[in-house]
Amino acid sequence: MKAYIRGIGQISPQQTFAGDFLDNVVEYNTNMLFCIDPVYKEFINPLQLRRMSRTLRMGVTAAKICLLDSGIEMPDAVITGTGFGCIEDTEKFLLAMINNNEQQLTPTAFMQSTHNTISGQVAIMLKCKEYNSTYVNRGFSFETALLDSMMLIEEGNAHKVLLGGFDENSINLHVTTERLGHWKKEKINSLQLLENKTAGTISGEGATFFMLTDKEDENNYALLKGLSTLYKPESEVQVEQHVADFLKRNNLSASDIDLVVYGLNGDVRTDGVYYHLRDKLFAETAGAYFKHLCGDYYTSSAFALWLSANVIKKQDVPEVVRLGKAPLGAVKNILIVNHYRDINYSFMLVSQC
Amino acid sequence: MDALIAKLKTQIIEQLNLEGVSPEDISPDDSLFGEGLGLDSIDALELIVLLEKNYGLKIENPAEGKKIFATIRSIAEYITAHGKA
Repeated sequence: MKAYIRGIGQISPQQTFAGDFLDNVVEYNTNMLFCIDPVYKEFINPLQLRRMSRTLRMGVTAAKICLLDSGIEMPDAVITGTGFGCIEDTEKFLLAMINNNEQQLTPTAFMQSTHNTISGQVAIMLKCKEYNSTYVNRGFSFETALLDSMMLIEEGNAHKVLLGGFDENSINLHVTTERLGHWKKEKINSLQLLENKTAGTISGEGATFFMLTDKEDENNYALLKGLSTLYKPESEVQVEQHVADFLKRNNLSASDIDLVVYGLNGDVRTDGVYYHLRDKLFAETAGAYFKHLCGDYYTSSAFALWLSANVIKKQDVPEVVRLGKAPLGAVKNILIVNHYRDINYSFMLVSQC
Repeated sequence: MDALIAKLKTQIIEQLNLEGVSPEDISPDDSLFGEGLGLDSIDALELIVLLEKNYGLKIENPAEGKKIFATIRSIAEYITAHGKA
């Protein structure tokens, strides 16, 4: 299976919406990151905008930027992945139910709280009546959407797929998951995420859309050559073996990889597997990481794919994502290794076209 | 009546999240739906809830609703007529 990345649009805690490739990195002194908003009125009709929640604005705008970037006006399919969907709208109508004693409920928050609101809104906006699907599989949400997209392209059922991954942060969500020990107790500088050797990470959010196609084109960012997932591995050795097998299936070995993008999030309880892979398979290979820029969330691997596709196209690895000092030449093959809370492991292979 | 109209304008702007619209922008006799303020059927549901929640008035007859929600003034008159303002 393979697919070309033709266009990208991303709203994130960095200024990624305006074509900025980490030229002006924003650092945070908090363990809770939120996206930097573009001027949404420039992308969405004000009449529609007023009813949209924050995540809906983020998602629809990222999709629009992606469409503009790709030069493709009408996709053959819209596929998204999200862990929590439109969580703020869900919170809003649940709170209204409690506060109003289950009476006098307004429809807007309820109808927009569903996970497929964004893919639906994008389809309405484009008048796209083709295949439309949203996957909600926790830490595999984006990966499942990506898998579906690649299968559609592989089987010839679609030639242009608009693929998105999105999740939003909220104070309620952060506080609730903080009780479960997800986040660092201390407030830290986001750019020093890996230096705090403590439990937990920083929460984040983002909306990233890709236009995948089956056509070679000089404007393509990169070629997505492979995707693999692994659920709850029993050991670091199992992960190592899985990576080796994944590379082998794609006729590659560890030495063919020019850059490994690790999902390191600064949590001492779960970062060990990345260092294990680095020591055992990629000791001589340059590394990069990204969660200090966007925080951790179910679909953060979409941020990693945005980063990798841009690195391949621009042949530039921004200093802020570099891990270690391994020499780096031309970047032809990138391996993304990410896991969400040591449960959902995913591996993506991104190559030069 | 004028005080009620002013209050309704603020409540509607807040409830319907009419960004960039101020009470002065809405005339009490402007159509709320169609060419006036451009509200739609979802907004109508929001207005029904607004009336019930803030004024204790239930609108159960759709035909009646069309007349009541024609303008801000017609809403104010309905509230006044039913004595719950």
